[in-house]
Amino acid sequence: MARGEIELSKLRKEFADVTAVDGIDLHVPGGEFFSLLGPSGCGKTTTLRMIAGFEQPTSGQILLDGSDVAYTPPHHRNVNTVFQNYALFPHLNVFDNIAFGLRRAKRPKKEIRERVGQALELVQLSGYERRKSSQLSGGQQQRVALARALVLNPAVLLLDEPLGALDAKLRKVLQIELKALQQEIGITFLYVTHDQEEALTMSDRLAVMNGGHVEQVGAPQDVYEDPETLFVADFLGVSNLMDAHVVSSGPSACKVAVDGYELETRGTDLDLRGAARIVIRPERVGLEEHGAPSGPNRIPGMVERLVYVGSAVQVIVRAATGESLQALVQNTGQGIPWEQGTPVQVHLPSDAVRVLPAEKRAGESE
Amino acid sequence: MTTVAERQPGTRFSAAARVRGWLRNTWGKPRFLVLITWAYILWSIVPVLIAVQFSFNATRSRTVWDSFSTRWYWGDSVDSVWHDPTLRHALVQTFKLAGADVLIAVPIGVMLALGLARWRGRGSGASNFIMLFPLVTPEIVMGVSLLLVFTELFTFIHTGTTAQILGHVTFSISFVVVIVRGRLFSIGRQYEEAAADLGASPFVALTRVLLPLLTPAIVASAAVVFAISADDFVISQWLSKGGETDTVPIRIYSATRAAPLPSVNAIATIMLVSTLLIVSAGFLAWRMLTSGERRTGRSAEDFGSAFNLS
Repeated sequence: MARGEIELSKLRKEFADVTAVDGIDLHVPGGEFFSLLGPSGCGKTTTLRMIAGFEQPTSGQILLDGSDVAYTPPHHRNVNTVFQNYALFPHLNVFDNIAFGLRRAKRPKKEIRERVGQALELVQLSGYERRKSSQLSGGQQQRVALARALVLNPAVLLLDEPLGALDAKLRKVLQIELKALQQEIGITFLYVTHDQEEALTMSDRLAVMNGGHVEQVGAPQDVYEDPETLFVADFLGVSNLMDAHVVSSGPSACKVAVDGYELETRGTDLDLRGAARIVIRPERVGLEEHGAPSGPNRIPGMVERLVYVGSAVQVIVRAATGESLQALVQNTGQGIPWEQGTPVQVHLPSDAVRVLPAEKRAGESE
Repeated sequence: MTTVAERQPGTRFSAAARVRGWLRNTWGKPRFLVLITWAYILWSIVPVLIAVQFSFNATRSRTVWDSFSTRWYWGDSVDSVWHDPTLRHALVQTFKLAGADVLIAVPIGVMLALGLARWRGRGSGASNFIMLFPLVTPEIVMGVSLLLVFTELFTFIHTGTTAQILGHVTFSISFVVVIVRGRLFSIGRQYEEAAADLGASPFVALTRVLLPLLTPAIVASAAVVFAISADDFVISQWLSKGGETDTVPIRIYSATRAAPLPSVNAIATIMLVSTLLIVSAGFLAWRMLTSGERRTGRSAEDFGSAFNLS
């Protein structure tokens, strides 16, 4: 099952005036659903294109099942790609599109017919052989692109934002299908996306990228619950970020001061001192009535705005520390006991608050 | 605002105001522009239609209409296009040059376009610019320089058919390059990458994917090259050695300076119709070949843009 193992080592790609990928190291074991997640321009697509062979690395290695393919042209690599806009050949029908790779490999006619049939079955498009790609819906084109890549039995399937062009509902359906498909055939999927929800729901593990670097690698839970950098905390979902001052730090618990209020937070392995930032997810912020018995990790505040989002209500609270915090209250049908201007007490549970080193913002001097 | 006011009953406007309101037609078609467009079409097409009409005149007059006849096409045993050897040769020479031009300029132009579009780096900008030179160089200048080349430098090429073909190819290539390169840019690199990804070598990607996708542009450029070659006067004239190497435009020019007969109109009509047929065939082929792409409706525009260059 080791087939499809990818190892990137000190991989760099410089274009004329920008460094798109700045020396990344990654290890993806065979058979994993691995995502590269990041905003546009973070280098995720360039990384994928280097693995596919469309770009030549400036330096570094790309090991595919142990052998360096960094200088192998794309048509000699055992990886296949599903392109963002599918790139189905418009002059060929569905059958010929899927058979394209098999014909280049000079497989016998009978085998081609069988394998194309199987691939179409796999993506549930049997009977569409004679259609042209322009006669297919976006979702169907996406499936043909998938079949065209998978029919060659690649060790690794590269997917470049394959669901980007589809509407939200279809995207959800195909996310589940893609994940099931990957588990069924057991090959490595390297998935590039800027959609954090997509990456979280589908991946076994994911790497969050920013500015050509890998910020954090881990399972979806780890990355979401335990962001290691402010960027990760901010990029994955909505986060409340507050400036804080570290009073004491340790592996089991830390104490920080936020504008005179002392908060207990989760432990950290980092040796933090002085200025830092604390992070809490909106769904973990508790709201209590004003005047409820006070306790640790509680800050008074006032409801500033209520935003109805359907399954929940977003409550924006101005805390006494001056920061504006977002709390997500599940919609249970009971209604929200607060309205704009109501004084409340904000509870930040100590196991939900993380301390992160305060990064210098871009442009700030040393 | 005028149109709104106009609808109110009982208000009276002068005729001029009403015409203005009708022209303005704020919420509908821009009638003023439609008028200008039709005026232009009439202006440009009516003289041509009159010339065509007199090619069917029964008498020797090109200005006084008598009755319909095909005398000047083949009926007259001396002066019809069919029986006058100079006219017949001119027609043959014109089609010969245009055909050879298409066969030579199109393949070279396609290769140049491929090379230029995929060439990134030093020199590519300059080469792309130089490709446009023949489009902007006055034809008379190019004709004179080519004549000098063939009489002083490459003296083994004599004026006549070979020199004329070389001259036509020289200025035709640019049209092919511009049309094919435009299509290449709109195709992008994605299909080539997909082909490479599926195991196709660069050569196979070219023959199996890129060339089929370029076919509409190749057909269109062939039609354009045919049309401009058949239409050419200056270069054909400079490089002609007279007699049988005179083309239809040259014949028409010299005939009109002597005593013109309606047979000149007839040969012009033949040229007009055949060029129209070739270009329409090119357009239909382009439409058919690009019908799979979701850009239908733009095909006419794309194809038309090929001509706007000339």
